[in-house]
Amino acid sequence: MQPPLLQLSNVTKSFGAVRALKGVSFTLHQGEVHALLGENGAGKSTLIKLIAGAHERDGGRIEIAGNPIGHLTPRQARAHGIACIYQQPTLFPDLTVAENIALGLETPSIGRRVHWKKRRQHAEMLLKRVGAMIDPESEVRSLSMPEQQLVEIAKALGAGARILIMDEPTASLTQSEVALLLNVVRDLRGQGVGIIYISHRLEEIFAMADRVTVLRDGESVGTHAVTAITQAALIRMMVGREVSAIYPPSENEPGAPVVSLANLTCGASGIFEVNLEIREGEVVGLAGLVGAGRTELARVLFGITPADSGTISLSGKFVEVRSPRSAVEQGIAYVPEDRRRHGVILEMPIAANMTMAIHPVFFPGAWLRLDAERRLALEYIRELGIKAAGPEAPGGSLSGGNQQKVALARWLATNPKLLILDEPTQGVDIGAKAEIHKIIRHLAKNGLAVLMISSDLPEILGMSDRIAVMRGGRIAAMLGGGASADEVMSAALGHEKEAA
Amino acid sequence: MRIRYFREWSVVAVLVLLLGALAIMAPAFFDGQPMLSRLAREAPTLVAACGIALVIICRQIDISIGSQFALCGVCAGLLAAAKLPMAVVCVGSIAAGTSLGAINGALVAGLGLPSIVVTLATMVIWREGLRWYREGQFINLPDQFQWFGLSQSAGQYTLLWIAALLLIILALAMKHLAVGRFFYAVGSDAEAARLAGIRPRLTTFTAFVLLGAFTGLAAMMNVVQSPQVDPKSGTGLELKAIAAAVVGGVAISGGRGNLWGLFAGLLLLITINPALTYLHVEPYWEKAIQGAIILLAVIADGVRSRRQPH
Amino acid sequence: MDATIRVRNWKGLRHELLLLAVLAGEILYFNAVGSRFGTLDNLFDILRHSTEIGLLAVVMTPIILTGGIDLSVGSLLGLCAILFGKMWRDGGLPPLTAAVCTLLFGAMAGALNGGLITVLRLPPLIVTLGTYSLFRGLAEAITHGADTFTNFPASFLCLGQENRFGIPVQAFALILVAAGVWLMVHRTTFGRSFRAIGFAPEGARYAGLPVDRRVAFSYILAGFVSALAAVIYTARLGQAKADAGTGYELYAITAVVLGGTSIFGGSGSVHGTLLGVAAIAVLSNGLVHAHQPREVAGMLTGVLLLLALCGGVIPKLVAFLRARSRHPN
Repeated sequence: MQPPLLQLSNVTKSFGAVRALKGVSFTLHQGEVHALLGENGAGKSTLIKLIAGAHERDGGRIEIAGNPIGHLTPRQARAHGIACIYQQPTLFPDLTVAENIALGLETPSIGRRVHWKKRRQHAEMLLKRVGAMIDPESEVRSLSMPEQQLVEIAKALGAGARILIMDEPTASLTQSEVALLLNVVRDLRGQGVGIIYISHRLEEIFAMADRVTVLRDGESVGTHAVTAITQAALIRMMVGREVSAIYPPSENEPGAPVVSLANLTCGASGIFEVNLEIREGEVVGLAGLVGAGRTELARVLFGITPADSGTISLSGKFVEVRSPRSAVEQGIAYVPEDRRRHGVILEMPIAANMTMAIHPVFFPGAWLRLDAERRLALEYIRELGIKAAGPEAPGGSLSGGNQQKVALARWLATNPKLLILDEPTQGVDIGAKAEIHKIIRHLAKNGLAVLMISSDLPEILGMSDRIAVMRGGRIAAMLGGGASADEVMSAALGHEKEAA
Repeated sequence: MRIRYFREWSVVAVLVLLLGALAIMAPAFFDGQPMLSRLAREAPTLVAACGIALVIICRQIDISIGSQFALCGVCAGLLAAAKLPMAVVCVGSIAAGTSLGAINGALVAGLGLPSIVVTLATMVIWREGLRWYREGQFINLPDQFQWFGLSQSAGQYTLLWIAALLLIILALAMKHLAVGRFFYAVGSDAEAARLAGIRPRLTTFTAFVLLGAFTGLAAMMNVVQSPQVDPKSGTGLELKAIAAAVVGGVAISGGRGNLWGLFAGLLLLITINPALTYLHVEPYWEKAIQGAIILLAVIADGVRSRRQPH
Repeated sequence: MDATIRVRNWKGLRHELLLLAVLAGEILYFNAVGSRFGTLDNLFDILRHSTEIGLLAVVMTPIILTGGIDLSVGSLLGLCAILFGKMWRDGGLPPLTAAVCTLLFGAMAGALNGGLITVLRLPPLIVTLGTYSLFRGLAEAITHGADTFTNFPASFLCLGQENRFGIPVQAFALILVAAGVWLMVHRTTFGRSFRAIGFAPEGARYAGLPVDRRVAFSYILAGFVSALAAVIYTARLGQAKADAGTGYELYAITAVVLGGTSIFGGSGSVHGTLLGVAAIAVLSNGLVHAHQPREVAGMLTGVLLLLALCGGVIPKLVAFLRARSRHPN
């Protein structure tokens, strides 16, 4: 029997103190679609970056078609026939589509001539194969996110790869684009290409994959043939426990409406006519696929991209939110998704991070009251159970879960009426996750209105009193707290559930 | 629909308007010999500006080229005064520039230091070191050295040819050779470039080394224009070069712009001062107008990018 | 520095201690070499000569903390000196009124920088490069490149040339501005905002900080203090010329970076900047007393700046090499 196309044995990778991969083994055969599943932060991205040569592994073996590979750079990975489509497109914003595709394909040798016409034709052909209506001469910075994703896919297609890695390629695509893409993937499989396919959409995995490997906390939980496993079993493997048992139950009756949105629209960020009401003490889950407009809605509410039309009213009063500053003044708090870039300033002490949103209130006359700040920080550290060396420890020295708690503390300090949480437990370890859930529940019990965005379906189902499902920038459905995973998924996907 | 090379064409349009105004109001501006002298005087600036465009496209900056220029000039002068052949002097000047560029490049690309501060430091070090060494003394050149030993106008034409050739070769290479595109790729997104198998550090280093070599050549082209070498030459060269690049549409944020735009930008900047004289505007306004043009150019960019949702 | 950072920022402190050691070394050496170096008169001399650069460096610190840069301060100093002279001599204003108008003009010029940077989101490097050329050019245009303003009244010149309470008059301005900016950067929410913006501009916005207002303010302050420096410069030299303050922006930036402020923004301190100014000023003064040419001072300043930069990299480099040797593959 010929050796597998790709074999990873016991590979490890750490970033500082964080062990992202704790010895993962993985095989990929020719003509196979091998799905990689796992919650956010389980180590999927790290694993594929090792294979693509973007990160260097700390230990373990990688064999390609039976040959052990030592040091792997992006260039060598490409020479071995490995192509990778990252979740975040790695394109050059200032260059044209044609050139982006070409730079991904041509071997970077210095003296070679650039054939612009050939580049253009090649790009046109590849774009047609993925069904994208994009002018190869347009600059990438002028493209939308899904368009950029399609360019990435075209690039990987053109590479004639033997091993193709796709990291959530369909996350931001429309239905027809997804269908087209899946056909392309089947084609490639037929040609003997080995495909590593990462997706959160279980139905895609069942429709297309041959085998599936589940990662959890940097370890492989198991590999199964898709035909030999059920959705429920997969979810259990991913989460590592029974879903229903771990979420603290909702204890209180929601009170009067705190926030109501009427026909809220922001054309530039693709939000249309959103109507939503959140009541006192209520956790409303905001579900939907990546690109459905959930984060965009949060950004509109928080004044980062102000709305064009429609109204926001808080406690029965119409308010105008033109900037984050005014959102804070109105009592809206937003714990953003990208914790490291937006949520916490990593270089600054956690005490300074916690008071950042309350400068005018906490420091009258702009004068720092360092002792008071320290006391406040210590209080939150105790209350939220933050593990840190002290209030002076820089945000970056904390683990993901503790950083998230610092971000949360910053917004609790503003004493908000509405708390928007964007993927509150993404990249957070299981223990901290449960604690954050407990905190959210506690806050709701004290009368806060919570809007919780999450891609983690069990989290949405377990935490929400009601669930708003977004699709294409609109609220597609409002479901009760007892909704099933299937109901939410079908609303998010926009088609009736197929007879299973 | 966005017009391609909008920025470059608008600079050309302004230049044409200015030249048109001169043609009507002061046709003497286009007289042969003064025009030739003017152009020859600015030929070294063009060469140095081509180099700085490479560095800016890589999302770096170099403000030490004025000092490099002076140092290379003195180097060339000393070699020439020692009665060495023209070719050796030329190679010496370029070699001096290359090594200076390599120092900047090593500090920026090798150690990952911010280019603005590194070149600020080297600018001061070279300039002051040169002052200390020369104490402001000029170097007298041998008789046969000026204008390469040719007649004045032949020498001036030679300089124009060198600058034009370099511009054309470089502009074509930046567009049509794979290596030219590396600079754009690295300046546009260094991490994406790394993933595409391009080596960002090496590319950045190369840009600084090429800039150094061009500065050395520019210094040589400046030295042959006079019977003496002024150790203070090149003051403000970095600003002129950067201004030409910015006006010509080379984005300071890297990855965008081309050498034709830079050429148009430089022509516009160097036309202003003589044009002022011919149009009977006081020439003291040159620097202020230069500043205003830089600001207008970036304001135009800012307004355009604000209007375009991305 | 921020008291909350005090404990962890041992690295920043170490930088300042190192700079202090360099300064002490300079003083000891020049005291041993130059006979007149260690006198009080000479100390005042140093103070007088470094006041303008000190002022510019102090207000450059908040700008660099936000991750920006201002290349136009030296040119603005020149333009303000000219305007001051013009208002006094040709406008017939008394020096005090002219000075007040100059300060207001400086703040407006700073607002031009700040406005372009925040409203149009243009890179500070290029905006201030443009105004660098514009301000100097206006100064040259006003004076036709040759006009010089002199013969100021003695009551004005005392600001730059005499002592009050035993120390040079302009030292009071420096002390006042330095203390004010120190308090602002290290003891108020302004300083917090500057750092937050420098570390993570988007993060600061998501925290609800008024990012644009703070950034614009730092440039307006720089414009205002550049004008103040222009008035002091004029009083010290007794004349205002269009080339006043040429190259001062470079000395100011050098002092700030030498003082441990990261050119990428976020970390740094005002007292570090003052130490940087002192190191440069003592060096150039001491070398004169040691009968060394002035150029050596310039060279050594550049070398010092490079060393300060490399100093930050060396620990990273060592860590990198160690990691390499542990995993040869």
